[in-house]
Amino acid sequence: MTQSAVERDGVMANAEPVVLIEHLTKSFDARVVLDDVHLRVESGKIVSIIGQSGGGKTTLLRCVNLLERPDQAELRVAGETIFSGPDLVCRDLARLRRKVGMVFQRFNLFPHLTAVENVVLGQVRAGVPEKAALRKAVELLRRVGLAHRALAYPEQMSGGEQQRVAIARALALTPEVLLFDEPTSSLDPESTGEVLRVMRELAADGMTMILVTHELPFAREVSDWTVFVDGGRIVEEGPPAQVLGAPAHERTRAFLASYRDG
Amino acid sequence: MFQVPWSEYLPALGDGLVETVWFTIIGFVGAVVVGLLLALARLSRTRLLRLPAAVYTEVFKNIPLLAIIFLTYFGLASVGLRLDVFQAGCLSLVIFYGAYLSETFRAAISGVHSGQREAADALGLGTVRTLGDVVLPQALRLALPGTNTMLVDMLKSTSLLVTISAAELMSQGRLIASATFRALEVYLVIAVLYFAICYPLSQCLLWLERRIRSGVPLSPRRRRRLRVARLLLEEAA
Repeated sequence: MTQSAVERDGVMANAEPVVLIEHLTKSFDARVVLDDVHLRVESGKIVSIIGQSGGGKTTLLRCVNLLERPDQAELRVAGETIFSGPDLVCRDLARLRRKVGMVFQRFNLFPHLTAVENVVLGQVRAGVPEKAALRKAVELLRRVGLAHRALAYPEQMSGGEQQRVAIARALALTPEVLLFDEPTSSLDPESTGEVLRVMRELAADGMTMILVTHELPFAREVSDWTVFVDGGRIVEEGPPAQVLGAPAHERTRAFLASYRDG
Repeated sequence: MFQVPWSEYLPALGDGLVETVWFTIIGFVGAVVVGLLLALARLSRTRLLRLPAAVYTEVFKNIPLLAIIFLTYFGLASVGLRLDVFQAGCLSLVIFYGAYLSETFRAAISGVHSGQREAADALGLGTVRTLGDVVLPQALRLALPGTNTMLVDMLKSTSLLVTISAAELMSQGRLIASATFRALEVYLVIAVLYFAICYPLSQCLLWLERRIRSGVPLSPRRRRRLRVARLLLEEAA
């Protein structure tokens, strides 16, 4: 169901969410990083995940496209059950991942390819004809303000430019949801501004996004829902104004205080 | 000083050079294939692949090439598997340099940042494309210096095939020396000839290394793709 249809019918609660996570548990060796976590992301919504480093935010995000495999979970992504109980249900991981775009903290562009080739690669694999893929890549690079850098290699670009190319690359397969893993954490303030501007535009276009971030003001500005994760559990969640403005939980308050002091 | 009638021996030297080049080409192509397969096997998650590949590499890295040459030519013949000189020579080079190259390739493949594989996974590229479009092209850059050294080293090592009279450059030299009794002069000429092919070869390889490092697209597919991209960008501008 499209977002507008959902809003018109006013059946938000019954609509199939783009991402539905239930009873997600994950440990690395003996250390439990996620403990019975739930997350629901409706179409067109932006959910931000905040919390201390090492608290499990990134692992939670990486479970959505199964870069990280849960120990136990019920996962539904884009209308399909991909994980159930202890079992991987999704038989075609590549197909799932084409519906879920991901932007990494360290950009992870392919350094041996130009910007435009970075954006083309996934499309060609997905069977898009060469010329159409290139056309789309150029259009996406223009959208992130980098058409003039299309033939540059990653090492010739600033961090902000690289991250914007990475966003274009993630958008190239018209994913149903975009995952951002601390997209501005390795950027200087100016580059951060560039990247946040692009993300703001995506938000305005109604892109569904899950955002792990330390940019609390930005999270507050763009997200519809904020989740505070600590010690592998969701401690508190709600509208950002509530979680970030008037947190109910002591640990959330402590985190926000440390954020303001830091 | 020169008393060897070289004009008489030019055809022999020419044949020797050609043979040396053939040994090198076939030996190197074979060693690259074997080395790559071994490297992938050693990096595989399956123990059943990892273990035999590791054993192979350790065994043949620690046996002299000359012993391998004698084993394939004389040794196999004694159990009824008769290889001719050319087959035995190529096989020895492939066996020996395959083991060495697998080490270079393994280091290069594991040297590709893990984030690259993740990004490829996240794009849904699949195993084959991830390897072919993302991991191997980057590993190539890392492997190139070591591989190039190995190629030049292999060319020089073909001279060991003189021990089974493989008709390559060194064998021709020995024939000329025994016919003329002018060892110093003959082997100096042979040494100069080896230098004359090895030096330009290593320089070419260094040049290639620099080109690849600077990101110049070498594959026709990439060239075509970039050409179309350039056209689309001009169209749009």
